[in-house]
Amino acid sequence: MSAAVPAAWFSTLGEPLGEAEAADIAGYLAGLKLAAAPTRAVASWREAGEIVRAPAGRWWDAEEAERARLERIARLDPADREWLALTDALHGAAAVAATRGGCADQGLIRAAAGAATYAVHQYRLVRAAGGGDEHPFVRKYALFAGGHWPLGVYGDRFAIF
Amino acid sequence: MSAYPPVKTVAEFLDQPAEYQDAVRKIVRSHALNELYGAQVFDEPAIGLAPTPYAKWLTCRVAMEEYHHHVRFRELADQIGVKPEDMDTRNKRPLNIFEFPMKTWEEFCVIKMLGDLAEILQVEDLLHCSFVPLRNIARTTMPEEKFHAQFGADFCVDLVENPESRVRVQDAINRFYPEAPKFFGASGSKNNELYRKCGLKLRKNEEMRDDYIGRARDIVGKLELKLPEIAVAA
Repeated sequence: MSAAVPAAWFSTLGEPLGEAEAADIAGYLAGLKLAAAPTRAVASWREAGEIVRAPAGRWWDAEEAERARLERIARLDPADREWLALTDALHGAAAVAATRGGCADQGLIRAAAGAATYAVHQYRLVRAAGGGDEHPFVRKYALFAGGHWPLGVYGDRFAIF
Repeated sequence: MSAYPPVKTVAEFLDQPAEYQDAVRKIVRSHALNELYGAQVFDEPAIGLAPTPYAKWLTCRVAMEEYHHHVRFRELADQIGVKPEDMDTRNKRPLNIFEFPMKTWEEFCVIKMLGDLAEILQVEDLLHCSFVPLRNIARTTMPEEKFHAQFGADFCVDLVENPESRVRVQDAINRFYPEAPKFFGASGSKNNELYRKCGLKLRKNEEMRDDYIGRARDIVGKLELKLPEIAVAA
């Protein structure tokens, strides 16, 4: 995997969603066997920070169950040098976007970087396990790579920044 | 710090006396292994213990930073001739604090608050060390180490607001802290004497340990909690 970060990561935060994004969200939720949920479009870093500080166990558990299944098929080295360079680059992209958005919260910036890192890890697991483009983690990766930050399912709504 | 002249490159390192080279290799290997153990047994598993997506993703980022610290030290270890088998976690018993059986989010936050504080003190001593490549790694990792310790302290501040989790934080301190001062090694250590002679460390083990205990007491005191009484071995 190249350490280069596609230019769009964190670049469309708060921007309106298109049909492609709506399809990816629907595919992502269906792939995790979560009920279709209305989308909550998040407008600011502050709002995103408030949302992600709430528990979201059902959604998180669904993702973790799938991650665990994939890790029974494929394992990745968390100390791979190129991988770590990529995670640093994602942190940089989150920091730049936060600065543009008037956010100086180092914890939230790191959480955004961690969310992106987790999404790339999940994506790499799918590919290593031979999964295809319809896999929910590939759908989520597409949302991140398109510049958004999918925040997850809170209550009965899917939040995306 | 001793007057040992700066050793600016790996090439210059290889021209140093054998005892200097051995001392540097021990320090670099120790840091590389500690960073790896910490990421493997605490940071990565803690993602699953964190209560919210914010805490999980933040922990994920912290884990990546710890793995990156490991890689930086490991790369230097490779350059200065540390044997690959000496870098294998299967061949080197971890320090006692890495054997703490972490099972809860409160325990992880205490580990970051008090365990990473110990790492900060170790790295502080390297900020002006005579081997410049090691000094530079210490300076690169220090801001992140400080963030990690603050991360633990900040979450502990939140946790102690709840009476039940307050009890769990104190319980985690009571069980984790007694092993932490051993992180600094024995008093009167010959290795430490050599490190200071080579300009690699500033302070005696016992001085660092005393400093650690004082800082840990201050941090825990701000939470209106207490460190357990321990007998510090000489």
